[in-house]
Amino acid sequence: MSTAPKYRHTEPPGLQVALILTAVGFVGVLILLPVIAVFTEALRKGLAFYISSITDPLALAALRLTLLTAAITITANLIFGLAASWLIAKFSFPGKNLLLSLIDIPFAVSPVISGLIFILVFGAQGWFGDSLASHNIQIVFATPGVVLATIFVTFPFIARELIPLMQEQGSEEEEAAVLLGANGWQTFWHVTLPNIRWALVYGVILANARAMGEFGAVSVVSGHIRGRTNTLPLHVEILYNEYNFSAAFAVASLLTLLALVTLVAKAALEWKIRVEERPAITAEEA
Amino acid sequence: MAIDARHVNKTFANYQALRDVSLRVDDGELIALLGPSGSGKTTLLRIIAGLDSPDSNPETDVLVDGDDISRQPISQRKVGFVFQHYALFRHMTVFENVAFGLRVRPRKLRLAEPALRRKVNELLELIQLVRWSSHYPSQLSGGQRQRVALARALAIEPSVLLLDEPFGALDAKVRQELRRWLRTLHSRIPVTSVLVTHDQEEALEVADRIVIMNQGRIEQSGTPDEVFHHPASEFVVTFLGNVNLFHGRVDSGRAVFGDLAVSANGAGHGADGKPARVFVRPHELEIERQPRNGNAVAANVVRIQSAGSIVRVELSRLDSTTDSEDPVSAPINVELTHDQYRALALTTGETVFVKVRDARVFVSPDYQI
Repeated sequence: MSTAPKYRHTEPPGLQVALILTAVGFVGVLILLPVIAVFTEALRKGLAFYISSITDPLALAALRLTLLTAAITITANLIFGLAASWLIAKFSFPGKNLLLSLIDIPFAVSPVISGLIFILVFGAQGWFGDSLASHNIQIVFATPGVVLATIFVTFPFIARELIPLMQEQGSEEEEAAVLLGANGWQTFWHVTLPNIRWALVYGVILANARAMGEFGAVSVVSGHIRGRTNTLPLHVEILYNEYNFSAAFAVASLLTLLALVTLVAKAALEWKIRVEERPAITAEEA
Repeated sequence: MAIDARHVNKTFANYQALRDVSLRVDDGELIALLGPSGSGKTTLLRIIAGLDSPDSNPETDVLVDGDDISRQPISQRKVGFVFQHYALFRHMTVFENVAFGLRVRPRKLRLAEPALRRKVNELLELIQLVRWSSHYPSQLSGGQRQRVALARALAIEPSVLLLDEPFGALDAKVRQELRRWLRTLHSRIPVTSVLVTHDQEEALEVADRIVIMNQGRIEQSGTPDEVFHHPASEFVVTFLGNVNLFHGRVDSGRAVFGDLAVSANGAGHGADGKPARVFVRPHELEIERQPRNGNAVAANVVRIQSAGSIVRVELSRLDSTTDSEDPVSAPINVELTHDQYRALALTTGETVFVKVRDARVFVSPDYQI
């Protein structure tokens, strides 16, 4: 650094190094190390064992259930999140703050408790246990229970992402659209949706990551029936408890890969937003 | 098309924004709704647009071109509305913003693409933004954005054009330009227009007729000349520009305050002794070196501001007290032409005499003579 800038607007070098080392240290120990550990342990018994672990019928069944659950959850929360945010941001009505607080409940309640709620409501001894049994409908210890618990846990992600943005944007553009002759659907599709699309996609990515990784709530309602109600995180737990460490880590690596795909999608999205919001052309060249 | 709003009331959670307001705007007229914030002018505009609904009341009617607006959904009523903060569609180009109203028409009424492009380009020419058609609103200046908003509103060939403080967010120079531009535009496309503003200069300059609102009521309605020279209430006088206020009493047909008296012809003998409030605009006062006829008040020159088309002189009455609450202590503002100023050769600190040439007298409460 022979050409020191004339005006220094920066911290002393010692402090810089200390801060950087602290940050890198945290990331290394808390994030990088576990990820490396997952893959090392997964491959400890060789590639063949790894492949056979993740192509095991039970592991594949868990993967299928995880993906199915995530797909249903995202669809449900997309519809709910849009409707709730639209309602809360664009209208005022009595009980609005109550609704806002209700949306946050899944964030405040421990996932295990969330799972228990579903057992209490839909379980054999629960409120609707008898009537469900008489109609031969099984919710708890079956796929519907897993899906319901996941929806509950990921409920606030999309709405929470959209509400502040929609509140900030106000309703004037929608009012303008309606006054210009647009009907409700045209207003939503051409004005509201384009203004919130990135927040929406972002919310979906976050909700998806949580849906695929959810353990607590799902663990309570699933009943751990192998090949039927086990999601990937539950399958990992079972393998681990059976001292089948390498297989457990192999399946965990699958989950990690799904998470990485989600992260890459998020990064790509952020990059795209930056490109789109870059001030394109200046006035004079037109 | 004429707008006719009758007996409109609007109550929000805890205050009444409009109290039995009736307003008629003739076909092709450009009127200004003028008033301070909270006077109900924007509420009235939004009710005419259909964005807000009046309190339900059997006497209330809001008619545009003779049709009750509650009978038709907003989207079919062709209301041109311009918002203070533009409300342009931020993800659409200037061209698409202007085209929006044409594109959302029902399929059988929609223009074919070439006709649509021609029409939008004509409007862009009108607002002189053809070169900017592929830009986004965030790349435009405030004045340009508001012109786009106007073109977008005009694209649907509105039956009425409603403007809600359209120039409120712009700086003084741009505001000047846009006012003149709006005036020219209105003479070219004489669509019935209502302009909401809190800027009295803007209202006086742009509108055919001014409706002055205060606390949910219409105070006065008339041409700019009428409201300026024949204000109907104290509020109108004080709202339309600077004014000096003198407190006095009625005495045999005259309002007397200190050594000054002005004619209050019309005040009957019954009015004698009643408090009178005398409003005098700064240009209606004269400064003299010698008191003639004794009908003048002595004052010291406090400040002279001669940069501008007129000279503003601030004076303090000799009989003023140190009590700033005392009305006598309020400074007197006088406006002189540069010629008058030169002839007087005023300097700060000297004592002169102030004479009233013209005044509006209100005998309490709110009664003009």
